[in-house]
Amino acid sequence: MHLAVSLDIASAAGKTSLTLAEIAGFVRKLETAGVDMVAISDSWPNGAPSTSPFEATTLVAALATFTEKIGLVASASTLMHQPYNLARRFASLDIISHGRIGWNATLRQNPREAANFSRPEGFSDDDFRRRAREFINIVRLLWVGWGRGALLFDKAAGRFHDPDKMHPLNHIGEFFSVRGPLNVARSPQDRPVLIMSGPAEADFDLASGAADVVLIEGQPSEALKVAVGELKRRAAAIGRKPETVKVLATMVLTSEPDADSLQALLESSGCDGFNFVLPADAPGLQSFTDRVLPELRRRGIAGQGQQGATLRDHLGLGTGGEQ
Amino acid sequence: MSARQMKLGLFLWATGHHIAAWRHPDAHVTAGIDIDHYIALARTAEAAKLDMIFCEDAAGLREANVNIASQTSRSIGFEPISLLSALAAQTERIGLVSTASTSYNEPYGLARTFASLDNLSGGRAGWNLVTSASPIEAANFGATGLRPHADRYARAREFATVITGLWNRRVAGHDGESFSVRDPLDIPPSPQGAPVMVQAGASDDGKDLAARTADVVFSAAQTFEEAKAFYDDLKGRLAAYGRQPDDVKIMPGVAPIVAATKAEAQAKYDALQELIPDDVGVALLSSYLSISDLGRYPIDGPLPELPESEGMKSRQALVIEQARRDGLSIRELARYFAGARGHWRIVGTAEQIADELQARFEGGAADGFNVMPSWFPGELDAFATLVVPELQRRGLFRKDYEGRTLREHLGLKRPV
Ligand SMILES: Cc1cc2nc3c(=O)[nH]c(=O)nc-3n(C[C@H](O)[C@H](O)[C@H](O)COP(=O)(O)O)c2cc1C
Repeated sequence: MHLAVSLDIASAAGKTSLTLAEIAGFVRKLETAGVDMVAISDSWPNGAPSTSPFEATTLVAALATFTEKIGLVASASTLMHQPYNLARRFASLDIISHGRIGWNATLRQNPREAANFSRPEGFSDDDFRRRAREFINIVRLLWVGWGRGALLFDKAAGRFHDPDKMHPLNHIGEFFSVRGPLNVARSPQDRPVLIMSGPAEADFDLASGAADVVLIEGQPSEALKVAVGELKRRAAAIGRKPETVKVLATMVLTSEPDADSLQALLESSGCDGFNFVLPADAPGLQSFTDRVLPELRRRGIAGQGQQGATLRDHLGLGTGGEQ
Repeated sequence: MSARQMKLGLFLWATGHHIAAWRHPDAHVTAGIDIDHYIALARTAEAAKLDMIFCEDAAGLREANVNIASQTSRSIGFEPISLLSALAAQTERIGLVSTASTSYNEPYGLARTFASLDNLSGGRAGWNLVTSASPIEAANFGATGLRPHADRYARAREFATVITGLWNRRVAGHDGESFSVRDPLDIPPSPQGAPVMVQAGASDDGKDLAARTADVVFSAAQTFEEAKAFYDDLKGRLAAYGRQPDDVKIMPGVAPIVAATKAEAQAKYDALQELIPDDVGVALLSSYLSISDLGRYPIDGPLPELPESEGMKSRQALVIEQARRDGLSIRELARYFAGARGHWRIVGTAEQIADELQARFEGGAADGFNVMPSWFPGELDAFATLVVPELQRRGLFRKDYEGRTLREHLGLKRPV
């Protein structure tokens, strides 16, 4: 049973935006309560501008220095970044946080992003999907371009790293050409945790093949159950252990959740836990930490997380790469 | 206002600026994977009241030859924007400047990222604009290779126009040669209004762009005359853009090696020089000269005639000039260059180093300096504990921060 909290900093329209200190204080409370990870949004999927003074990857870097155990997930879009740059940013974040980072790869094309990133015409759905798939594949390979034990630090012999353990990528694809390797070391999790939220049916192969965590709307419960089954089945079909794809049910918290119905949803759908979406306003966070969390802990829905040192450990995901 | 004081930046680079820094017995060899090391360096710099920390960057390896690369510490390190965002949370006053490329980013994306760093730090962020001169970087962003110098600068000019427009809330749509942007920036301004603009171009295109857009200019100069010529040239270009000489701070790099006596300092320098393998020195020199095969020429012979570079034109000229001036062989030049990549090196006591800095500062060749410790943490500690107090005693450097934002430290106007 895993628990994520999504902090929707991008959509606090009309409210006073949270300060770094307020966000850090909140995340520390989640950490104490045993929440596995907190996910930071970066834009509204509906195309409205973000209302936060912070961008997600930079905010997460700062939060990493205020926390010790909780996983930290940043959203970053494949339209706003280049794969090489994004792979570096997240590998670096993973090193800064000692292995607590996840990348929430947004799978839907946001027209606002296309319009501001020199792509006024955007991509067709099909092209966008193929491009996202290629992008994610490149990033995952760049993350393991440096073999384990590649860094020798041998001052006397004058060998800083083992040249045979540094692998270029030499990717030439439909949308990208990337030689690699990354100029950031292999990170503590080998690969930061890859999260995909709200995949459409057409993205299920990508999600079941590459994602570590998939976030699916918790309602209607019947649809959730079908998605969980489908994702796990497709993972098994390509030789992945189904339990290495964690499916969390996304619940938008408007009032206090009814623990009984959460328990029932967990059992009926076969999902691996919950992702609670919170608006980024101080009173909302206060009520979550003061009222909701204690209840969830009492019912055993929260409080079992953070099983090890890294986010992969918390989620029971095993290692993030080979070589 | 009190007498003019110099600005000082800490230029971070891997285990140190000397190519063999990582082999120094006391160098922190795991710097590239140790965030606590960087937090400690940042706190040292902040305790010394330095204006800023500066991170270089390249979007790719620094050296293509894997054998050479594996003998240096420069193939891995933190990505600087994430690094500085973490440091922003662990410091209070010092400025945080990161390099980022105009060739491999989009202006809306960098505008957001730096605005966020600026907000996280309470107005202490700066951006060092580079056009990225290395074909290694180009190969990570497409199959067409490094674009010519002039094309890179055309894109950089447009990039600078768009990003400053976004930060200063001027843009209502941009549809240009390289970029199109529809909306205003969705991140509010920090207490300093907009991140500080830094530039280090030294070609004609580079200096013009700096004169038009930069608040701070980094440079590389060996001699007083070179530094002065660059200073006068750049300040002379400002009027054409309606700017005052004081609107831009020129901060040449300096790589000091300081000890209680000159002989001790010289011994420290010599010991570091001993750690440079010849092939590594020659390869580093080749990469700045933008030629691939300097190793083909006799190492004890003179530098061959070289075609003009499409990479860093200015640094190539600087190196060639030095080789001619001092009659250096390839080996000698490579060794010298490996110490600080063509930047000014001073070996001496705190008084001697302060004398030299003072002479350039008061002689109208610099507004401050970008300090490049040979290895970390030792040479930074030495600069902070020996040279900074000497400069403070002479009234040449602040004893405490006057303000909270990087613009305030540097005495820069808020952007309009
Ligand atoms: C102190 C200093 C730091 C620099 N840092 C970087 C850097 O981090 N990344 C980079 O690609 N170029 C860097 N450069 C190179 C400059 O951006 C510039 O390309 C170079 O000085 C040549 O000038 P030009 O581009 O006008 O030919 C640096 C230069 C100096 C003097």
